[in-house]
Amino acid sequence: MPSPSAKATAPKLATTGLVAMWLLAAGPAAGHGAFVDVTETRAVAIDARYDTDEPMAKAQVTVFAPDDPAKPWRVGQTDTAGRFVFMPDDRAGRWAIQVRQAGHGAMGYVDVGAAAGMTLTSSATAGLAPMQRLLMVACVAWGCIGTALYFRRATRATVA
Amino acid sequence: MHIPDGILPLGLTLGGFAAAAGMTAICLNRIEAQPDPRAGLPRASLMTAVFFAASLVHIPVPPTSVHLLLCGLMGAMLGWYAMPAILIGLLFQAVMFGHGGLTTLGVNGVILGLPALAAFGLCRALQGATHPAAAAFASFVAGAGAVLLAVALFAVILLAGLPGHLDASAERAAILALALAHLPLALAEGLVVAAVLGFLRRTSPEMICVR
Repeated sequence: MPSPSAKATAPKLATTGLVAMWLLAAGPAAGHGAFVDVTETRAVAIDARYDTDEPMAKAQVTVFAPDDPAKPWRVGQTDTAGRFVFMPDDRAGRWAIQVRQAGHGAMGYVDVGAAAGMTLTSSATAGLAPMQRLLMVACVAWGCIGTALYFRRATRATVA
Repeated sequence: MHIPDGILPLGLTLGGFAAAAGMTAICLNRIEAQPDPRAGLPRASLMTAVFFAASLVHIPVPPTSVHLLLCGLMGAMLGWYAMPAILIGLLFQAVMFGHGGLTTLGVNGVILGLPALAAFGLCRALQGATHPAAAAFASFVAGAGAVLLAVALFAVILLAGLPGHLDASAERAAILALALAHLPLALAEGLVVAAVLGFLRRTSPEMICVR
């Protein structure tokens, strides 16, 4: 006569066997594995700044592909340091990037060749040294002063 | 307050050139009607240099910075000469420093030229004010009001030409922040115009253009 404990064990064994058979029939586990494909690619990094060297934080970025300069290829926003990164696709040619914020902004260009990598061009005139700026202001101011003196002299000569 | 190239749609830039050309034509016509049109040229030339250099003077207004506009002072000092002087100054700023742009020269000329002419009109209307305090207050309003009008024009033109693919709410917030940052500048330029015109009234009243 089987003991009460043996009676209780029989259904448990049967259940365990069924679960094991179901697991074996289900095939390999899926959904918890993780795979990472690492490939090297080229990207364009933008560092947007005002001419006062302040970063254009949270400025709006519009990227135009070479074959459609009227339709934005991608829009985004710079981070707090004024940076934005995008990966151009296979289209070779000149990609245009516009960064703007409250009516201020600039265009930048990147030439993406099929094999030759990238060439960056910026439309901004940033990078002028303070002395260069001072010299340019002095040149224009001197021109204005010369103009003022010329017309002042001409007026005096007419009066005389 | 300098809109660079590539920001505005073609229609607005062409409209800006048309408006600036019309304003300049009116100003040149009024200058030509003066007894001696060349008499104001030395002063206009010197003020053009001041206006050109002023855009390089940045005033930090956290979290951003603004630069001097001087459109009120230009209008009060130059009268009808202000518009051509501002256009020449803007051209030099765009070519040499990239402040503004060549395609937006007309729009920028309107943004700064119209407030200058408004300041001139206000100074001319209130030239009869004999009380020094009243004259100083009128000069302050001309200087500060010109900055505020320029900011308003700048914001309206930008919002009118906002492309559909941009985040409009983010751009509106940025424009509002920039406009608020110009309030201290309006105050400062109002004080500058009041001080300069007050000095000229005492020393050389003929220097204030009221014709």
